[in-house]
Amino acid sequence: MKSLLRQKEFSIFAIIVVISIILSIVSPAFLTIGNLLDVVEGNVVMGILAIGMTLIIITSDIDVSVAAITTAVAVSVGALFSYLPDSWISLAIIFLIAPVIGLLIGSVNGLLVSKIQIPAIVVTLGTLNIINGLVLYFTNGRYLNSTNFPKSFLSFSNVEIFGIPILIFILVFVAILTWYILKHTFIGRSVMAIGGNQQSSIRVGINYQKVKLFVFAYMGFLCGIAAIAQTAYTKAVDPNGLLGLELTVIAAVVLGGTNIHGGRGTIHGTLLGVLLLALIQNGMILARIDTFWQNVVTGAIIVFAVSYDHISYKRQQEKLAKIEVA
Amino acid sequence: MKLSKENILGLIALGTFLLMSLIAPGFLGSNNLTNFLFQLPEFGLLALAMMVVILTGGIDLSITYVAALSGVGAALMLTSGFSIIPAILVAILFGVACGAFNGFVISKIGVPAILVTLGTMVLFEGVILAITKGNSISGFGDTYSLIGNGYYMGIIPLPILIFIFFIVLTAILLNKTSWGRSVYMFGNNDVATHFSGIKNSRVLMKVYLYVGLLAAISAIIMTSRYNSVKVDLGSAYLLQSVAAAVLGGANIHGGYGKVMGTVYAVIIFQTISNGLNLLGAHSAIADVFIGGVLILVLTFNFFSDKFKRKKETQASTA
Amino acid sequence: MKRFTLSLLLIIVILGILAGCVSEDGGSSNEDSGSDGNSDNEGEASSETSSDEELSIAVVPKLVGIPYFNASETGAEKAGEELGVNVQYTGPTEADASQQVQKIENLISQGVDTIAVAPNDPASVDPVLKKAKDQGIHVMDWDTPANEVDLSVKQVDDEEFGRHMAKKLVEAMGTEEGNIAILTGGLAAANLNAWIDAAKAELDENYPDVEIVTEKIPTDEKQQVAYQKTLDLIKSYPDLDGVLAVSTPAPLGAAQAVQEEGLQEEVSVVGSALPTDSQPYLEDGSLDTAVLWNPEDLGYLTVALGKMLAEGKMPEDGQEIEGIGQISVKDDGKTVIMGPPQDYTKENAGDFDF
Repeated sequence: MKSLLRQKEFSIFAIIVVISIILSIVSPAFLTIGNLLDVVEGNVVMGILAIGMTLIIITSDIDVSVAAITTAVAVSVGALFSYLPDSWISLAIIFLIAPVIGLLIGSVNGLLVSKIQIPAIVVTLGTLNIINGLVLYFTNGRYLNSTNFPKSFLSFSNVEIFGIPILIFILVFVAILTWYILKHTFIGRSVMAIGGNQQSSIRVGINYQKVKLFVFAYMGFLCGIAAIAQTAYTKAVDPNGLLGLELTVIAAVVLGGTNIHGGRGTIHGTLLGVLLLALIQNGMILARIDTFWQNVVTGAIIVFAVSYDHISYKRQQEKLAKIEVA
Repeated sequence: MKLSKENILGLIALGTFLLMSLIAPGFLGSNNLTNFLFQLPEFGLLALAMMVVILTGGIDLSITYVAALSGVGAALMLTSGFSIIPAILVAILFGVACGAFNGFVISKIGVPAILVTLGTMVLFEGVILAITKGNSISGFGDTYSLIGNGYYMGIIPLPILIFIFFIVLTAILLNKTSWGRSVYMFGNNDVATHFSGIKNSRVLMKVYLYVGLLAAISAIIMTSRYNSVKVDLGSAYLLQSVAAAVLGGANIHGGYGKVMGTVYAVIIFQTISNGLNLLGAHSAIADVFIGGVLILVLTFNFFSDKFKRKKETQASTA
Repeated sequence: MKRFTLSLLLIIVILGILAGCVSEDGGSSNEDSGSDGNSDNEGEASSETSSDEELSIAVVPKLVGIPYFNASETGAEKAGEELGVNVQYTGPTEADASQQVQKIENLISQGVDTIAVAPNDPASVDPVLKKAKDQGIHVMDWDTPANEVDLSVKQVDDEEFGRHMAKKLVEAMGTEEGNIAILTGGLAAANLNAWIDAAKAELDENYPDVEIVTEKIPTDEKQQVAYQKTLDLIKSYPDLDGVLAVSTPAPLGAAQAVQEEGLQEEVSVVGSALPTDSQPYLEDGSLDTAVLWNPEDLGYLTVALGKMLAEGKMPEDGQEIEGIGQISVKDDGKTVIMGPPQDYTKENAGDFDF
């Protein structure tokens, strides 16, 4: 079983290595620490959201409202900024309030999914419409730039430790936290169990509704953190800035080897998926690919990656089945 | 008491319609009603296509780009001097070809539909960009514009007739043919379907071919109505069409869904957005209402199911 | 499989036949029903105007909910109050051509007097504007030209605007030779493409030693995408001297990249952006000049001219419009140019509230 999991992430890793080799041959700028840090920093928001989405997909659900929730939190934080004094207290308040707002919205999704038992894609499609509509209605798309931001927040967003931007540490923190929850807590292992086999996990006494509520609430919590990261990264609040990100997030998660039917998925796999998409984006300009063909290349790589991944997975399964029979 | 899910939805559609005719000025004006009939089909066809995919437990995220690519096919033919029949055929060919590509990867390789179409969504968009360089293609002549803007017998908008034709066709295909029955069976339990001697991959392949066809028809109506095609043709319909199919009662995990349910859902969406428009509401409010209706109706379904089950168990114990 | 293909073919044939005969029928009867609807609507419209005594002018932006179109909404509403007309400012929530056409169709149903549209795709509004005209509604475009209109309001001359931006960039670079890159909002935006083409022509003709390093790069109308693409460009082309960024979020993202890399001296950025948004970047020179027009004035002018149109008047070259200033009318008699482009720099950006 363990070697199988390793195999699953290995194929995506192999694709990343191949793309990296190609890119470092065509562009000397690719394999520099500066560029790699830029790539990672630029995808911290996607990474955080993808980590939360991994848990949801492991339970064989899907959440298409993540970009909307993140935007809603970012807009709320932006509205709060003008009332905050310029000191570290503001920073603490933001780090307290943003995840809580996210958590609350996520819990609404979670309650509808767990108690009312509406399929998650439908619930989140509904909340996506509602949140986007409300955000647009209240902000009218108003863009907030850094002139209204507390100075403490701006200086926070520029902090570097050992030359590594603070946002990357946030991503690492989220990754480790989630990995820990998934591996070493009861609720985390329940998440895996429910995705693996819902019926039998309920029979062994796992509270199905509680787990569902947890994954969506946790997703909301991460959306709150992602909103802080997004605001710190762009140093602006743009209500339209994340439009359409939800599908990219889902793509990253499944590229990273999480089974769309649930039960299987890892945090490091997801991070590899994010990295692959990030490298493709980064590589387009570095490899000087014609503007009009960039989407063809991206789409082809995604289709190839999911097909390749699926074929190798099927082979593994066949082998496994033979062994079991024998 | 014996109302099916779809009939209740029909009543809701009727209710929204009546409500809007009471509160929205000019909603019942002949002009607005014709508008309504012109606006409905392009979205309706995509929602119908999405419902067929959802029956198999899949989802097609590439559907609007399939439509846009078909539209580009028609546009290229028309602008290089061909008449409308070959243009329509090329549009359908493009749509079916995209469907075949999706169908191949999904049915033969066995990759889940959501993943494949997530990739082909970007891929087809890229193909359109490579062909058009992002510019729009326009100017299709008056005859072609009649498909989307013309009237049959002087009163009935032509697009709605096309839509009705495909509603009937889809209903027949799903309910009266062996393919249709296999689609439902596959959606319910693909392993059992496989063991009952049905070639799953063929059934699936045809689903995606049919979706390509419907997307192409929708594209023909859209390009004719707007006299132009661009990479984002109808892109706003993507998630809306999933929402319509689901509101229409289709089970997102496959196996259940009725044509009429989707049609009612499409009517509800269109009524809400059209009515709110006439009321002068902010455009964003329509989105909020559509999301709200989706969640409310499904919550209502949940409680009525629960109620029914309770009654049944009571009846059986008594 | 065979039966399925057969039935598909059959459908196609039936469809062909159906479409074939209907289009002819529809063609002749279309006219009838068109004129029917026309008289109906005029009846409605006249009864409405007699009760309200107020002209109603609909202004349709490409989309609602972005700063630029919010600013023109403010101007349009101000004009409505001052000129005593009923202004309806409504548009789709996404820059999607089909959604915009539906908005216009609904406005026709409401029987407004003038419709002014900023088309997402000029050709796509042709049929619906024709329909509006048939119903006796005056149609005009603003911001971006459409084909089937009685009057066209342009903020600036596209050619002049593109060339002006190119000149400003060369000025900011302080040298007439170097490498530049172009960022655009989206590949499908007709007005952005027109500016870029004009800017390229200007560089070609007058500054042959300025080289454009790569094809224009789309940024999805998002600041963070423009930011990332600019970072990539700086790395990929280390001798980059300037960035020309068209579409309002793009210059902000480009400037942010320059600011964070501390390349204010090395890389010049010029683009089309609103002054309040660009202020933090103008201040430290990471954005050299933002070039745009006053979107509030554009909204105001659109309503003012829409009112004239509804009253049956046409604007004249050099005419003075109250609250705006002198406008110029092109030779075709229906294209109005609001004025020259405005430069927003470190010095004046604080004076504006949009």
